[in-house]
Amino acid sequence: MDVFAEINWGLVAPLIIINFIIMIFALVDWIKAEETNGPKLLWLPIILFLSLIGPVLYFVIGRRQY
Amino acid sequence: MQWLTLFQKELLESWRNYKWIWFPLVLIVLAIMDPISSYYMPLIIESVGGLPDGAVMEIPTPLPREVLMMSLGQIGSIGILVIVLISMGTIAGERKSGVAELILVKPVAHSHYITAKFVAIMTMVWISFFLAMVGSWYYTNLLFGEISFISLLYVIFFYGLWLMFVVSIVVFLNTLFKNAGIIAFLSIIIVLSMSVLTQIFGRFITWSPNNISTYIHEYLITQEVSTDLIMTAIITVVLSAILIMASFFTFEKRD
Repeated sequence: MDVFAEINWGLVAPLIIINFIIMIFALVDWIKAEETNGPKLLWLPIILFLSLIGPVLYFVIGRRQY
Repeated sequence: MQWLTLFQKELLESWRNYKWIWFPLVLIVLAIMDPISSYYMPLIIESVGGLPDGAVMEIPTPLPREVLMMSLGQIGSIGILVIVLISMGTIAGERKSGVAELILVKPVAHSHYITAKFVAIMTMVWISFFLAMVGSWYYTNLLFGEISFISLLYVIFFYGLWLMFVVSIVVFLNTLFKNAGIIAFLSIIIVLSMSVLTQIFGRFITWSPNNISTYIHEYLITQEVSTDLIMTAIITVVLSAILIMASFFTFEKRD
């Protein structure tokens, strides 16, 4: 586990934080949405576990636009 | 004034869609992922590589300009895909849902309607791209070596024209088709086949928009803006203008 000690977390932190922010926004929108394209519950694991790609997929195709 | 109202409506809508939040952030992640991961590449290989004892692997540290080009490469592939996805339904979606009819019932010039949308998308694309490349530039300077801010501005300016060209393709296709999926698919096909054509007929099409990143790389090496780069930039702008004007005509015919 010495690999973790060698990584400068100050460098990597922005990447993790940005991913987290996108996920939070997708989650908030998912909670507020009455209906999504496709089963609503299916989107929860996609948003939570596919980092970056999941939330983007949700915003692009999951959200009911009109 | 009418144009400004349409433009503000677009900005407000993409804000409500959270596009203004996630799109810049996604581009930033795409741009800064490569500098960070190539910096840690030796460490990653060492910890998961399973190399036999004593095996030595020399990985040359990439040059600063190569790192910047990696970021451009990411934006040019996955970034373009995301740009196509956020703009694929911009007019088609409103035509499908009837919003476009509601707007165009009023005395709204069709050219205003299209340019307002185009400029709204470009505002978001350019600002996000700028932030993303500044992020990449920051990491490059920190981890690999110096690149002047002026060079970065040149890179952003010229590559920004390529992004504008892609958006104008998507907007044009929006006036032809109503299905967002078809628009996205055709946009990608057009960009890909243009790059194939440019590669096959490379000797004859030196100023194809697809070549812009090659010339940008040349600029980073020589630090001089070549005529090839300027001509490619001009061609790219002209082609985008033609596409936007063509979409005025197709849009008016369709409705």
